[in-house]
Amino acid sequence: MASANFETYVEVESSLHSWTPRLKLLSLSLLMFAFAAVKHLPLVLPMLCMTAIFYSASRLPLAYLLKRLRYPGLFIFMVVLLLPVTSGDTVLAQLGPLAVREEGLVTTVLVVCRFVSILTLGFVLLGTTPFLTLLRAMRSLGLPTLLADMTLLTYRYLFETADMLSTMQRSMQLRGFGRRRRWFRIEGKTLLQLSGLLGTLLIRSYERSERVYKAMQLRGYGQLKQPQLAAQQPIDRRSLLLTGMTILAALGIVAAEITFLIEPF
Amino acid sequence: MHISEGFLPAQVCIAGYGTTGLLTWFALKQINRQGNPNEKIPKASLLTAAFFVASSISIPIPPTSVHLLLNGLLGVILGYFAVPAILIGLLFQAMFFGHGGLTTLGVNATMMGFPALLAYYIFQLRFNLGSKKQQSSSPSQTQSHLPSHRQSLRQLGIFAFLGGTLGLALTAFIFFLLMVTLVSADFDAQAEQTAVTYLTLAHLPLAVLEGGFTAMLAVFLQRVKPELLTGR
Repeated sequence: MASANFETYVEVESSLHSWTPRLKLLSLSLLMFAFAAVKHLPLVLPMLCMTAIFYSASRLPLAYLLKRLRYPGLFIFMVVLLLPVTSGDTVLAQLGPLAVREEGLVTTVLVVCRFVSILTLGFVLLGTTPFLTLLRAMRSLGLPTLLADMTLLTYRYLFETADMLSTMQRSMQLRGFGRRRRWFRIEGKTLLQLSGLLGTLLIRSYERSERVYKAMQLRGYGQLKQPQLAAQQPIDRRSLLLTGMTILAALGIVAAEITFLIEPF
Repeated sequence: MHISEGFLPAQVCIAGYGTTGLLTWFALKQINRQGNPNEKIPKASLLTAAFFVASSISIPIPPTSVHLLLNGLLGVILGYFAVPAILIGLLFQAMFFGHGGLTTLGVNATMMGFPALLAYYIFQLRFNLGSKKQQSSSPSQTQSHLPSHRQSLRQLGIFAFLGGTLGLALTAFIFFLLMVTLVSADFDAQAEQTAVTYLTLAHLPLAVLEGGFTAMLAVFLQRVKPELLTGR
């Protein structure tokens, strides 16, 4: 965890990087929900094309996407294995005792394509917007102060807490923890030691939070009724154009989906 | 136990945001009622960070190992703050690891936040039980039969166990219910019902493990830092 990469922003020049953050957040979220609504195969190709256009416009390196897709991709693997043989009635092929069914295969294609498209759009949003800017955008869209403050403070101390846990785990290992492992048996002592590890981590975090709160109070935290947001960045013409196009694309996908529902192909 | 992007229809994702909005509104209302929320924000935030990194701790179950869900434990320790803590934790997991998702954030937050609140209520029941015991015994009996430290620790452990177990069991039930009924429309109803029942039952040993871990941790904190456990 300590070595995990918490930084998602990639600093390159692109039109998506300069897109007004709150409009970008709104438009891309709308498009992601529109993609989640896709239930018909003919819409899969336009969805993938739109995703590819957004990713290439963001000028994020391909390696960034592949690296980020690797871990969540493990979850989709189970679906690819299970759905085609468990869902539906129309048998397409018989592989020994397993029958590959058409309905299951169609659902698999839909789920995998939606998964890749939505996740890629999410990475476009995160890769082109620094975390603090994104949080400010959420705040300007009505995120409650308590949630915004908690998110900011959690993010601020995440790295240090991860380092603390890493040090504690290393010192446990140096004292022999985890060296002896019995097969097919859960050891109560191990559970007790791990609960002690987490308990100590919580106590250290709690004690640090008391010092942090005192320091924050000294700097005037809680004195203002509402924290003043910095002046909003003016909306430029390019941002408006991108927002309009993205919203149109999202509405187009939803309209096409409704048309397919009314008149199935 | 997160629902990834692309699995659920848009209507369910939007409904998930609706239920999470309600749950968060309720939690924030209760937090504001409890007095100065500013004082609790740094504590809740640092504990959220600790829980987030603690979710990487793996419990050895030879020949493999599992990661704990910790939502019951979050409810037990953070109380109403568990709801924003879970929301933030899930947002970070979606952002940094692609685990879960941004469109499914609402569904995932309800799936874990609601059981966490129930775990908190269960953990708080220990106070009711304690006061009823005191009322039922006469003053002289109360003097002579004050619950020993060991008894109160046992009681605390039992309620923490119930909270931790329920946290995972209920989350597993909601998870499988959503996955089996909504991912594909081509399963027959009887098969769906059977699958949800068996998959939830298969997770009961893990729920018991999570409950046991929650109990051990609650007892540890009661011994070392009792003010960390949410009181009344």
